[in-house]
Amino acid sequence: MAEATTPETKEIDNAELHRNALGRNEKGGAPRKKNFFQRLFKGRERVSADAGEKNNWKAWLYLAPSIILLAVFTFYPLINTIVIAFLKDYDYVKQTNAGFTLDNFGTVLGLVGQTSSQVTVYRWQCYSSVVNGTTHWWFNSGSGAISEVYFQTDVIQYALPNTLIITFVTVPISIFISLLISIGLNSIKWFKKILQTIFFVPYVTNAIAVGMVFAVLFDYQGIINFIFHLGSTPWIDQAAPTWRAMIALCIYIIWHSLPFKILIFLSGLQNIDKQYYDAAKIDCAGKWRTMMNVTVPLLSPQILYIMITSFIASFKEYTSVVGLFGSPSTDGGGTKNMYTIVYYIYDQIKGNVGYGGAAAVLLFIVIMIFTAIQFQVSKKRVYY
Amino acid sequence: MEGGAFIINPLRFTDIRSGPITMEIRLKNLTKVFPGNPKKGIPDTRAVDNLDIVVDDGKLMGLLGPSGCGKSTTLYMVAGLLEPTSGEIWFGDEDVTDLEPEKRGIGLVFQNYALYPHMTVYKNVAFPLTNLRIEEKVVDKDGQPVLDSEGKQEIKKRHLTKDEIDKIVRETARIVQIEPYLERKPNQLSGGQQQRVAIARALVKKPKVLLLDEPLSNLDARLRLQTREEIRRIQQSTGITTIFVTHDQEEAMSISDEIVVMKLGVMQQRGVPQDVYNNPCNKFVANFLGTPPINLFAGEIKDNKLYIGSEMVREITEKKVPDQKCTIGIRPEGIVVDPKGTFSFHVDRILTMGRDIMLVATHPLAQSNTKFLVDAFVKVGVGDVKVEVKPHKCFAFSLEEGEKRII
Repeated sequence: MAEATTPETKEIDNAELHRNALGRNEKGGAPRKKNFFQRLFKGRERVSADAGEKNNWKAWLYLAPSIILLAVFTFYPLINTIVIAFLKDYDYVKQTNAGFTLDNFGTVLGLVGQTSSQVTVYRWQCYSSVVNGTTHWWFNSGSGAISEVYFQTDVIQYALPNTLIITFVTVPISIFISLLISIGLNSIKWFKKILQTIFFVPYVTNAIAVGMVFAVLFDYQGIINFIFHLGSTPWIDQAAPTWRAMIALCIYIIWHSLPFKILIFLSGLQNIDKQYYDAAKIDCAGKWRTMMNVTVPLLSPQILYIMITSFIASFKEYTSVVGLFGSPSTDGGGTKNMYTIVYYIYDQIKGNVGYGGAAAVLLFIVIMIFTAIQFQVSKKRVYY
Repeated sequence: MEGGAFIINPLRFTDIRSGPITMEIRLKNLTKVFPGNPKKGIPDTRAVDNLDIVVDDGKLMGLLGPSGCGKSTTLYMVAGLLEPTSGEIWFGDEDVTDLEPEKRGIGLVFQNYALYPHMTVYKNVAFPLTNLRIEEKVVDKDGQPVLDSEGKQEIKKRHLTKDEIDKIVRETARIVQIEPYLERKPNQLSGGQQQRVAIARALVKKPKVLLLDEPLSNLDARLRLQTREEIRRIQQSTGITTIFVTHDQEEAMSISDEIVVMKLGVMQQRGVPQDVYNNPCNKFVANFLGTPPINLFAGEIKDNKLYIGSEMVREITEKKVPDQKCTIGIRPEGIVVDPKGTFSFHVDRILTMGRDIMLVATHPLAQSNTKFLVDAFVKVGVGDVKVEVKPHKCFAFSLEEGEKRII
């Protein structure tokens, strides 16, 4: 009998505790709705009024350093960027603007252009003609004066495609390679620590410095051409076509992004119970099947984390371009063929800050969409 | 898999219903030494020392011993997950000592089951089958065997088809009674269910040998009782030669055809459970088997009689034994309360256990806690009690090394 009653009393106690913890009333009604800030301000309901006041004051004090820093360096710039994206001719020195506009977005996307006399026109108001193989756009103001229109197409033509190529090439490849390396590192016995350290070195190396080393490697008189007997093929120099420059850039980005991924995967691998591998051996699974059916699924939380963070990081790729090419252009003639979105945003400091703001907002939206998709897809695939 | 005759393969893949081909397991001088570190003064550990065991075809062998006695090490060596330092392992006529675990055709149930947490029960059970490659005799459309250029039966290797796998998985699920849970994940199952899934996964490829590593240690008392009968039932219905590792003597004794008691890597005794219990070969075995454990007293042998202090507990009628000091062990159930008895002790407490009552006693020469069991209707009170000792429940052990049983 004693055994039968004990769990019951325990359960009642638990229910009580549970109610209290949720802040419900005695009758078990809905929890009192309180958000974080209400709790912060109305601490007195729990403790005595005096102590509540004190706690309040102290809570803000403790939060102050991070709140101030976040406010100055994160929230203000974030909001200001969005505001600037909607302001016409914003001048960040004089803090002046010419009112609200959506043209910044239009310009970034190549829908809004300017005539030679600084009049803003839309693409659908213009007509084009091809002269000597290049397309020219013309605007007829109605009074008979026809003027040429210039559209900014760096984002649509170069920055966005380049960024997407970088993302969809480097992320899968670097995840795959780092997975193989970390599985290899995890299964060797000797020199494990030393090798782990060696593989981690690129992470602590400056991107610009690494870029300079790669620039030497990929120089038309460099080691790559020498080893593979490619003559004096230009990879990153002024005569390199975009696709070749892109190969060099992707190799550099993959190499530089490996160590962090290896670090995360290794820590994940070390958490996998060795018994699963024994079980797989008993179940006659070969090395490849063990990796695909045991290692990868059990590593899926780390893989998801790496996928999302490296997707975001490669959407924001910029330093690698600077490090490797020094300028956004390789094929001469001043085209910005190696632009990435962030490079474009950075360049707008010299131009129209509003365009940069608009591009930043667009990038933000693109990243949000991709991250949301990844979370959705991963719901079924990731085992926690 | 009707008939199962068209399949021959290295794993001797046959239908459960047509009777599996099982194997006797022979361990010859099996030794495992875990190297220490001479620089730090850590000595080598002999986990298993010259073990010689034969498990007969289709039998369930219980490997029993306290923790650290090398029983799991032995099991893992049989499984192939650990490499023996020396000695041989034979499955039937085949020396498997250097064979990879995947080629041995064994099923292993791990202590914590090691079910793949990301796979459903169905996939867990099917996983060994998807890895399997079977050899098939090639036949023409009339069912006549196709011969190759040398006149031998042509043999083709292939994976099992999805339908074949499905059939075998469901068949195995039926045997271990996990059919309702096939679509669940392991963490949605109770301990007992997980355990049955682990057994199903071990059985599904119809192994020659089934190895169980403390499979009941994660279950509660009632489930343990139920599951150990389940294991016995499954083992008997499949007829697979099984080795069962446990530190729980009751568990091992209740379901094993034979038990092996180990201590510090050395086999102490092997035999039918009741025989080992009735005739322990040394003090360790006598002490390890039985709950509550045997009561030990400092005693001596004089004129072919066993004495504890000045009280004579038993006469030796079987043979002539020289006079000597010894340890005397009396099983808890080995007494009859009798006012004319020759042995006495002081009862401190009486515990009612339902069927029996337990006397918690003290004796000046006792080497351990003294506990005796008597029938519940026997009237005993706290205080000095005189008893008669049943001769076959009373043993004498030598004080020399090994503490062998004298009588």
